[in-house]
Amino acid sequence: MLRDLYLELEAGSFVTLLGPTGSGKTTLLRILAGIEKPDQGRIYYDGIDVTALPVQERNIAFVYQQFVNYPSMTLFENIASPLRVAKEKHSETEIKRKVEETAELLRLADILQHLPEEVSGGQRQRCAIARALVKDARFIFLDEPLANLDYKLREELRTELKQIFKDRDGVVIYATPEPIDALTMATHVGFLHEGEILQYGEVRDVYRNPSNAAVGSYFCHPQMNLFPCDVESRENAGCLLQVSQELKFEVGLDREKLPNDRYLLGVRPHHLFLSDPQSRMVPFQATVELAEVVGSNTELHLRHGGIRMSLLMQQVEQFPVGKEVTSFIDPDHLYIFDIESGAFVTRTNSSSISSSSSSR
Amino acid sequence: MARIELKSLEHRYASSRKGKSSFAIEDLNIIWEDGTANALLGPSGCGKTTILNIISGLIKPTGGEVLFDGVEVNNRATRNRHIAQVFQFPVVYDTMSVMDNLAFPLRNRGHDEKEVQSRTGEIMELLDLNKLADMKAERLNPAEKQIVSLGRGIVRKDTVAVLLDEPLTVIDPVLKLDLRRKLRLVQRELKLTMIYVTHDQHEALTFADHVTIMKDGAVVQSDTPEGLFLKPSTPFVGYFIGSPGMNMIPCENNSAGLEVTGSPLFIPKSIGGKTDNLEGSIELGIRPEFVETSIKELPDWNRFEIRSLDHAGAYQILTLESGSIRIKSRVEDHFVSKEGDPVWVNFPTDKTNLYANGKLVTP
Repeated sequence: MLRDLYLELEAGSFVTLLGPTGSGKTTLLRILAGIEKPDQGRIYYDGIDVTALPVQERNIAFVYQQFVNYPSMTLFENIASPLRVAKEKHSETEIKRKVEETAELLRLADILQHLPEEVSGGQRQRCAIARALVKDARFIFLDEPLANLDYKLREELRTELKQIFKDRDGVVIYATPEPIDALTMATHVGFLHEGEILQYGEVRDVYRNPSNAAVGSYFCHPQMNLFPCDVESRENAGCLLQVSQELKFEVGLDREKLPNDRYLLGVRPHHLFLSDPQSRMVPFQATVELAEVVGSNTELHLRHGGIRMSLLMQQVEQFPVGKEVTSFIDPDHLYIFDIESGAFVTRTNSSSISSSSSSR
Repeated sequence: MARIELKSLEHRYASSRKGKSSFAIEDLNIIWEDGTANALLGPSGCGKTTILNIISGLIKPTGGEVLFDGVEVNNRATRNRHIAQVFQFPVVYDTMSVMDNLAFPLRNRGHDEKEVQSRTGEIMELLDLNKLADMKAERLNPAEKQIVSLGRGIVRKDTVAVLLDEPLTVIDPVLKLDLRRKLRLVQRELKLTMIYVTHDQHEALTFADHVTIMKDGAVVQSDTPEGLFLKPSTPFVGYFIGSPGMNMIPCENNSAGLEVTGSPLFIPKSIGGKTDNLEGSIELGIRPEFVETSIKELPDWNRFEIRSLDHAGAYQILTLESGSIRIKSRVEDHFVSKEGDPVWVNFPTDKTNLYANGKLVTP
């Protein structure tokens, strides 16, 4: 399931383990926490080998996807429970103080005397998170904690969790299939693919510099478009990247950097447009297969010949299925990957990626 | 297909508390035009499923009327209403082939076999089921089964409307896209009257041309997806549609015009101008997408401080604070700033909505 993993997580980091279902996220999380034992390899916490240490002797907390609370206890008693069973004894005054502090942080202070069944799903999951936080564990593991919540609650909790886990000295490890979770909350991301970590690094860095087409495509919201292109040399030094008869890009890339005839081209959906006021982009004809309204955006699913791609519009707008549209691709934001291995090769205009400050 | 109308509809359930009954829905008026794609959207417990059951005849309403093409059908039996339903879990005859599943409703009503063949052929073509025609339904994946359920619902030409109750819940995420596309396609090709019931904004706004938002048994707003987004009728709709939801800024109306409660924030006169005879609680509503944000100071723009930045890839969501006022603003991915930085903010008049006592004020 998991193969040859090497990961070093820094104190103070909020790490997301990102990957599709079945990529090994949950297994890795459970092994790191000590719920499962690895067949091979060692796990160190703060330099100490804990591979053989039972989970209850580790300084950890684990939050599951299902809202696990004691149904017969009030939220107060639920949050207090880890303190009551802890090895070091806490006085009642101390327990009260800690529970109330944590409840305040998770906006549960007013409903501490309620039973779990009397509060909303979002509040139940916040209570489960509070139980993880109250004992001040150094390592906190969360396995898709927002998966069972509706999108409004997910949106709110994402912002809250980021604030709650900020400035902690320990390590927070959060498994999720949602790239948006990693983008908005985490400091670091490890991308899992069929039991392997394909890339690990700071969130912004992995987002901007995917090492591989699989990372680039998945760690993008919505997913990055990928399609094959042919490369031809140009007399004036640059290259021509040809996707279809109509869709081709003149780029100032050195042919020596692109020795093969065919590559995989990656374009983020927000670098596709329906208008090009400055006439600097590459136009092509496409058919709308579906317009999906997601949050405040519309994702247009387009078909251009045999190629499917998506275009992100930052507004809510409807398009009839089957409508023909002229679309444009920004040639300054193309990623080029090896067509066989998927390895990152280069990209267009990479110097301008970290552009200077701007306003609108 | 037909036009469906609910007129002053109410339904109360007998309550366990003695002598009391509680309204599931109250004074409901909705019109679904013939041949349109509609959604009924609301949180669980808002009365959506009660309405579906009233339309299909499974529940008899305690008051009001259900009309099909202008004809009252309150007492018409379910089997005579010709309503097709698609549920969360696909309903197919596992031991029958796809083709026989689709043909079943027609054969059952004694249509001649030639007609059965031609109509099922049409539906299979439209739903892209030809390849699967002879396959036993038990071998299909849930998405394919759901398409067969839909096909069985629409195969009869006398179907009045198709009701869909959270039809994508059990469908694998990667197969949802195709099913969404097929639903839209079929609706348009056959000009079906469809009502899609869901608690999910994404499903409702993607499927429907017309969305009715319900809360606590009442209609909050009926509009196009664009209308719900641009002109939410209440702060609830502003919050419920869009991500993040609309910013609401509490205001007071006094002699000088509109002022932000407990804050020196400047409101352009063009917004304040509409407020002359407004009373009660007043709020400005503006979506994060429409808040204009600059890192340079600009005249008449309001100074805020950045509390947090959330990257979403294509853009960033800033949380901004000025005194007790907290708002969110959407800025481009390359907007360079950090927590604690000042920014200057403007609320464009045409994108700022005004609410009095929780209702949109239309100019």
